[in-house]
Amino acid sequence: MAQSTIKVEIKRQPTPDAPSVTEKFEIPYRPGMNITSLLGEIALNPVDVSGRATTPVTYDSNCLEEICGSCAMLINGKARMACSALVDKLDQPITLAPLSKFPVVRDLAVDRSVLFENLKKVKAWVPIDGSYDLGAGPRQAPQIQEQRYPLSNCISCTICMEVCPQFNDVTNFVGAATIAQAKLFNMDPSGSVLKEERLRALAGDGGIQECGFAQNCVQACPKQLPLTEAISDMGRDVFIQQVKDLFAR
Amino acid sequence: MATAVPPAPPAAKPLRGVQPLRAGQGNSFLWHKLHSLSGIVPIGAFLVEHIISNFETLNGPLAYAQQVKFLNSLPLVRVLEWAFIFIPLAFHALYGLFIAFRGRVSVNVYPWASNWMYVSQRITGVIAFLYIVQHVWRQRFSGISLPENPGAAFHKVQVELSNPWMLAIYVIAMIATTWHFAYGIWLFAAKWGITPGEKARKKFGYVCTAFGLALCLMGLASIYAVVWKYPNAPENVMPAQPAGIDLPAPSVPPPNSTNPDQPGEVR
Repeated sequence: MAQSTIKVEIKRQPTPDAPSVTEKFEIPYRPGMNITSLLGEIALNPVDVSGRATTPVTYDSNCLEEICGSCAMLINGKARMACSALVDKLDQPITLAPLSKFPVVRDLAVDRSVLFENLKKVKAWVPIDGSYDLGAGPRQAPQIQEQRYPLSNCISCTICMEVCPQFNDVTNFVGAATIAQAKLFNMDPSGSVLKEERLRALAGDGGIQECGFAQNCVQACPKQLPLTEAISDMGRDVFIQQVKDLFAR
Repeated sequence: MATAVPPAPPAAKPLRGVQPLRAGQGNSFLWHKLHSLSGIVPIGAFLVEHIISNFETLNGPLAYAQQVKFLNSLPLVRVLEWAFIFIPLAFHALYGLFIAFRGRVSVNVYPWASNWMYVSQRITGVIAFLYIVQHVWRQRFSGISLPENPGAAFHKVQVELSNPWMLAIYVIAMIATTWHFAYGIWLFAAKWGITPGEKARKKFGYVCTAFGLALCLMGLASIYAVVWKYPNAPENVMPAQPAGIDLPAPSVPPPNSTNPDQPGEVR
């Protein structure tokens, strides 16, 4: 099918508080484009479909190969990575919008700091900083490595949070990514020293109990993390920790 | 020499939109877990008991009356009723409504099966709530009191179901309630970490489906028995009995009995 142009409709807003407007573009067709290259094409010649000059579209992107997690947006209404969304496989006109559950910075760029804050709340790290060499860490059995590796693939794109019906400003649910990272670091032989603190953090308001098991997170995750399995496992561990704290603290 | 006041550290700008986890704060974990657990025991256990008891309607008005009489002769039955049925049920229902209206349904954008099940659990919960309010009011707290007159149970339900609208409500509510319970068991196992693995959840899904279907069919069978199998049941199939005393069932069919197969021996 000889297609001459690509039709795109982009929801834009110049500032965090400005009302959003939809701008329409028509880009000369090239085979094999993805959404980030499409946005680059618009930036080369930011003129909308009526010939009116406009500004280049603001969006986050970095690696262009689905590994940095920055270019998540709503493409034809669904949250996905712009770099791995191929234009040839999308219905036209292609609609682009910023993720709906995060404050817009400008156009398609949103502020996803809540994920960083949540990762800090569950101490999603291995505490090995010190003033002297701590030596080699404990050995990690291959069976543990195999369970941890898929969880380490998280790219912090926040798509699991965007698609979650429970992630909203009423529940302030922590979201699947943070729970999965808490499991990743709880399973680390060195990171497990903070296990109890992570489990207690996840029992706070907005914690793991807000999960409604709609399982959208695991469906939408671009890196196929076993998110529901992580939530289930952590649900058990958090509960057991609460019971232990009730009787033993 | 005046000492320079060190500049205050820049206050962290409050985030807009969804707020971060309140690590370790609040009691919502406890309430959510109580809500989840109360759906299995005691409420789910009571639902199973209720449907099994109702299944006695297939053996006729007298058998049903004896089942009602038996349940009401349990020691401390009024305490059991409030502690294990009414109070947990009210908590589960009200906290469930609170949970249900905090979600943001997204099946229009993400029409996945599990996402639909998420919505179905909320819809069936609301249906069950509305139904149970009227059911408890009309069958337990108004009209002839069944704890004192167990023999009137069959007739009371039969009169209720003689209204075709009420019959439709009972059928819909039976499906919704057993659906809510069956998926609730599945959710319980998933969220409490009993079935973390994908395969385990899938297999347990079949178990819950079979269990829910069996409960639903038993419930619908008892509706069938009340409406069609034993029409025109007598108003009271048992003689007046003092509360808490289990008199033997009558050995002759009560007047107007339509079920001569069942003279009423003690089973």
